[in-house]
Amino acid sequence: MNLKRDISTSTFSGFALSASLIITFLNVLLNNIPVDIKRVGDELLKLNGSEGVANAVTTVVVYFRGFDTLGEIAVLFIASLGIGLMLDSNIRCNLKAESNFMLKTASQLLFPIIILFGIYVMVYGHLSPGGGFQGGVIIASGVLLLLISHKEFEVPHSVITLIETFAGISYVLIGLIGLVVLDKFLGNFLPNNISDMGLLLSGGIIPIIYIIVGIKVGSEMSMITQNLIKRSDDV
Amino acid sequence: MSSVLFIALPLLFGFATPLLSKFGKNGVAFTSTALQLFLLFLAFSLIGDKPYIEIISIAPPLGISFVLNKVSLFFVTLFTFMMVAFSIYYLSYRKTDAYKNETKFFILLNMLLASAIGLVLSSDIFNVYVFFEIAGISAYILTAYKKTPSALEAGIKYLLTGSIASIFLVFAIILIYLNIGSLNLAIIAQDFETLPHNIKVFISILFLIGFGFKVEIFPLNFWVSDVYEGSTALVNSLFSGIVVKAYLFAFFHILYLFLPSGEFSTFLIYLGAISMIIAEIVALKQTNLKRVFAYSSLGQVALIFTAFALQSIDAIQGALFIILAHSIAKIVIFLALTTIEKNYKSLDINVLKELNAPFLRVVIVIAMLSLLGIPLFAGFIGKFLVLKAFAVEQIFPILAIIIIASLLEAVYYFKLIGFMFEKGDRKDKIKVDFTHKFIFSLLTFLILLVGITPFVISGFLLDSANVMLDSISYIAMLVKG
Amino acid sequence: MFEFFNQPEVIKIVVTVGSMTLFFVGLFGLLTQKHLIKIFMSVAIMETALFLLFIGLIYKQSALAPILTDNQQGFINMNDPVPQAMILTAIVIGMAVLALGVSFAIEYYKLTGKTDIDEITSLRN
Repeated sequence: MNLKRDISTSTFSGFALSASLIITFLNVLLNNIPVDIKRVGDELLKLNGSEGVANAVTTVVVYFRGFDTLGEIAVLFIASLGIGLMLDSNIRCNLKAESNFMLKTASQLLFPIIILFGIYVMVYGHLSPGGGFQGGVIIASGVLLLLISHKEFEVPHSVITLIETFAGISYVLIGLIGLVVLDKFLGNFLPNNISDMGLLLSGGIIPIIYIIVGIKVGSEMSMITQNLIKRSDDV
Repeated sequence: MSSVLFIALPLLFGFATPLLSKFGKNGVAFTSTALQLFLLFLAFSLIGDKPYIEIISIAPPLGISFVLNKVSLFFVTLFTFMMVAFSIYYLSYRKTDAYKNETKFFILLNMLLASAIGLVLSSDIFNVYVFFEIAGISAYILTAYKKTPSALEAGIKYLLTGSIASIFLVFAIILIYLNIGSLNLAIIAQDFETLPHNIKVFISILFLIGFGFKVEIFPLNFWVSDVYEGSTALVNSLFSGIVVKAYLFAFFHILYLFLPSGEFSTFLIYLGAISMIIAEIVALKQTNLKRVFAYSSLGQVALIFTAFALQSIDAIQGALFIILAHSIAKIVIFLALTTIEKNYKSLDINVLKELNAPFLRVVIVIAMLSLLGIPLFAGFIGKFLVLKAFAVEQIFPILAIIIIASLLEAVYYFKLIGFMFEKGDRKDKIKVDFTHKFIFSLLTFLILLVGITPFVISGFLLDSANVMLDSISYIAMLVKG
Repeated sequence: MFEFFNQPEVIKIVVTVGSMTLFFVGLFGLLTQKHLIKIFMSVAIMETALFLLFIGLIYKQSALAPILTDNQQGFINMNDPVPQAMILTAIVIGMAVLALGVSFAIEYYKLTGKTDIDEITSLRN
């Protein structure tokens, strides 16, 4: 049994090129290990107390860098649109074998618990670690479980599109209302007292925006997963 | 009127379109065009205002802000005007040849416009990265829209090179945050020169590679001609008219802020010159019209790159003139190619020999003469200013390279013009309907207007060039908040 | 011996070397692999390596997570929340682009049956 394989020249040159690049990178990076300098994050951490939200990462994601989150939602929206455009054939299930009885029953039992957990992570994002993205992905994983175990399950396309559209519109509208009321796009115009920190209704627009983000992420990831699993059976 | 409306309104329209499509496809088309016209009027109404900062959630330098000064307003006006011209052309084109799933097409157009404007206005480096990605992903889907094998191949190539570009850009942003501690362009600009030399060069190279893929500089522009050939000519007009200009401005705006002393300008100038020559040489032997004009775009973009890299007032003013002339001319050419393709179903170079369209021939010839830099057309004053800038700095090799590249471009342009006017059998006449004639006449009139009387806009462009080079007052405006 | 590895400088060196090794694996895959999906996976590996580098180098051992708990009532001596927000955004954007790329590859395979990047050359003039 001959276990020797000859390594082709392209593999060798690829190895040499990437190794030399990485050694250059390491050389530069190891000479410049970053020290603890004063960074923007420390300033924002001090400001965070006045927003009345217990989770500093949530404030940074939703409020201080809210426009990046809006852009990221736009990217996810466009990607979901593109995947729907590309894989847009007859939605017929592509799974070859019917899954067995244990998987079907267990997934039907687990699905509402997963959705509930996802909604909990989403809604309590400003009080405990979590938030819109994390909760949305958990919801999408529950939908994936049902898509794999039940051949005839289908996420209702028009309902999801309606929910997603309203979530997207309300995000930009909240920003525009902030522009009108406070002269700052995405300004915090709802009451956010520091004394409320730790309660569910605290932080002004921050939990509302994060719930919107969670709805959008959950619905878009579900649509992407469904488009990738269910497609016409030529492949 | 705030400048964030330029970004928020197209985003709102994009998010709301699946709902609007319930009211019929024509509703979406007309609402989209109306929105773009509104943005154009908004841009015109802001001319003459003092530069100001639009704050998002928290004042800079801790938060994100959008800066509207003369040069950003120039670009915003240019982009909205190009998009209005494109939308009006498409409104008439869709009567016979509408794209499938048209609501998605309009969403992508508006997202492209919002992200191009965002690239120009933003003053925060991570925000620039987010807009970089939105513009990229809209462009990838627009390339692969028709779902033919060549369109998908072009889309895959574009997506792979774009992903590699964003990896390098994220690496640069990570190193900037680790070593400087801020994401605001002004704070980074203040501290960037004081970094140790090797990490500064490393970050600059990562940045150059990251943006270099999108700014179409040699050797990172191998994807451009394939993408232009794979996608439709209609979408190509947006790529060369709006997308690449936004990336160019974002790159050089950041370069002027971070390296005001012009450390790498010699290297960048020669890089741009090499790109120009190689693009024009390869263009000579192309046989597909979209590829010919893709390489011509590469040459002009390389010229703009070289001019910006010189970092002098004349060169920047010349580059802004070339940007204006090139955008208008390339949109004219690609929209004319779309009409030709609709009627003759082919865009091989020989289709010009059989072209029977007197109006379109004149329009294409005017656009080509403008790109060459013939006096009395819009492209002349830009090229002249750039040549003058290089002559003043006494960098004669680049002067020679620009002139040789222009001569090579003239060779194949006159070959194309010869094909269009030579005697021989011609196919059926193309009927250009009224809306298209209006758009082509308007754009050609602008080319001739800027060419014959450049003083209507040269003062505005000179002020814009001064603003772009003046990083000190930009930093002061942002640091003050 | 483990006290030596617990010092912050040594941790930073280990993180840098480790994430650059992962970046090297991704880069090697990008340069030598032929199958489209493997190339997309290599790009994903490179992005993950960068996020690991960032998080590893920004971490301060003596500070706590940036969230209020029963034991921690004020926002002092906490880790930096901005890199976490940046990486969250970058992960989602990278994943969205890659999902789109995979859908392009699937549709291309459905139309032509090719997945080898050396064979996708119909646009070469």
